[in-house]
Amino acid sequence: MIHCIDVVKEYHVAKRGVRRVLDGVCLDVAPGQKMAVLGRNGAGKSTLIKIIGGVELATSGRVERTMSVSWPLAFSGAFQGSLTGLDNLKFITRIYGLDYQHTRDFVDDFAELGRQLAEPVKTYSSGMRARLAFALTIAIEFDCYLIDEVIMVGDQRFFRRCQEELFEKRSDRALVVVSHDMSFIRDVCDTAAVIHNSQLEVCGSVNEAVGVYNSL
Amino acid sequence: MEVLRLFGLQGRVIGALIMREIHTRYGRENIGHLWVVGEPLLFCVGVAIMWTAIRPAHEHGVPVTAFVITGYVPLTMWRHCISRSIKAFESNGALLFHRQVTPMDIIVSRCILEIVGALIAGIVVSTGAMLTGFMDPPDSMGLIYLGIAYQAVFCFACALIMAPLSEMGDVLDKFVGAVMYLSLPFSGAFTMVEWVPTALQPILLWSPSVHALEIIRQGQFGSVVRVHYDLVYLTWSCAVMILIGLSLVLRSRKHILVQ
Repeated sequence: MIHCIDVVKEYHVAKRGVRRVLDGVCLDVAPGQKMAVLGRNGAGKSTLIKIIGGVELATSGRVERTMSVSWPLAFSGAFQGSLTGLDNLKFITRIYGLDYQHTRDFVDDFAELGRQLAEPVKTYSSGMRARLAFALTIAIEFDCYLIDEVIMVGDQRFFRRCQEELFEKRSDRALVVVSHDMSFIRDVCDTAAVIHNSQLEVCGSVNEAVGVYNSL
Repeated sequence: MEVLRLFGLQGRVIGALIMREIHTRYGRENIGHLWVVGEPLLFCVGVAIMWTAIRPAHEHGVPVTAFVITGYVPLTMWRHCISRSIKAFESNGALLFHRQVTPMDIIVSRCILEIVGALIAGIVVSTGAMLTGFMDPPDSMGLIYLGIAYQAVFCFACALIMAPLSEMGDVLDKFVGAVMYLSLPFSGAFTMVEWVPTALQPILLWSPSVHALEIIRQGQFGSVVRVHYDLVYLTWSCAVMILIGLSLVLRSRKHILVQ
């Protein structure tokens, strides 16, 4: 389970003091649950996902995790651009205590980056970066994956591989997904929540959430 | 057992951070990883040669080459630890994406790298100077170890304090260069406490670094020099600085923006 209990996140903004992005957010994610987080740009979706992932800390409130949670898969972060894909991979295998060769084989097979893996990550396109990040998180076998839009940047073939590895082979894992692609959300998720005016509302069904989102 | 597992994890994280730091900073070109030592080495060798050339062979009865080496190696350690700790969290933001990487790990790994680099450079320079006859072997290795250990702890404590402070605003960033330069007399690298007027000695002795350097000098020169240091003060001041640093680092996590 993941419990977010009364999470508040404030940022200091120059001249205007404090901006409250999340105000008393409560959210539970059960094992195997596929949760979509909807909201307009800047509503705080990515902030929430970073707090669930422990990347940023809440100003008040707390997050309890009783299952392993991935880092947020997003357009940025998690990789050092000046290092090669392989060095990044090595770093991640070291801190998660994984076998290097085994992980490398898996990533090679899944991300299909070929020799590009030995180039600095900053030379990658966003699609390639997403493929590397995906391959690595799936190699680590988390109980819950946090996905911040990034799945949409891959090409068709990559999307199919994700489908296969994440939604079929690992269909018992939980997901928290941020996306603006409503047909994807309808396909994949079984619950949805909408963030608006710093508040999070968990809706009864995905369709209801999409309705709320469309009316924003 | 849980505690042991956590220590194991942090050890692994710090090891991985050190390797990552070496890769990003020095890459694999030419001598690659050896630059960890090469960088401080260039500095120490250059200064040692320059001082040996332009200064009289003895100052206050102390041989100049050995004096410069015993001063510059710890000074380099301190300067590098501080400059690497400034904005360390910002430049390593991407790493905090992984929950097991903490701000503390980032500082510890950077300090280990700088301290070890300076130490190896120190060993190389002093061995070189001894082989060429510019420096005598130390009078007491024990005192040198003790002084260097204290200096390393002091450098780490400074880094712990500077890293979170530098994240709080850009003002400190601008001051650091000037303040570090102006604080050179308080490093103890260029003078011995005995050489300054008696009235100024207590002011110099506020600095823990001066105490550590005096210990190192006693280790090198033995009874040739009169040294002033207080182990109790040195221990306490380092301990207090580390506590302040720890509390700042722990507080800073909430305010670090990760991209």
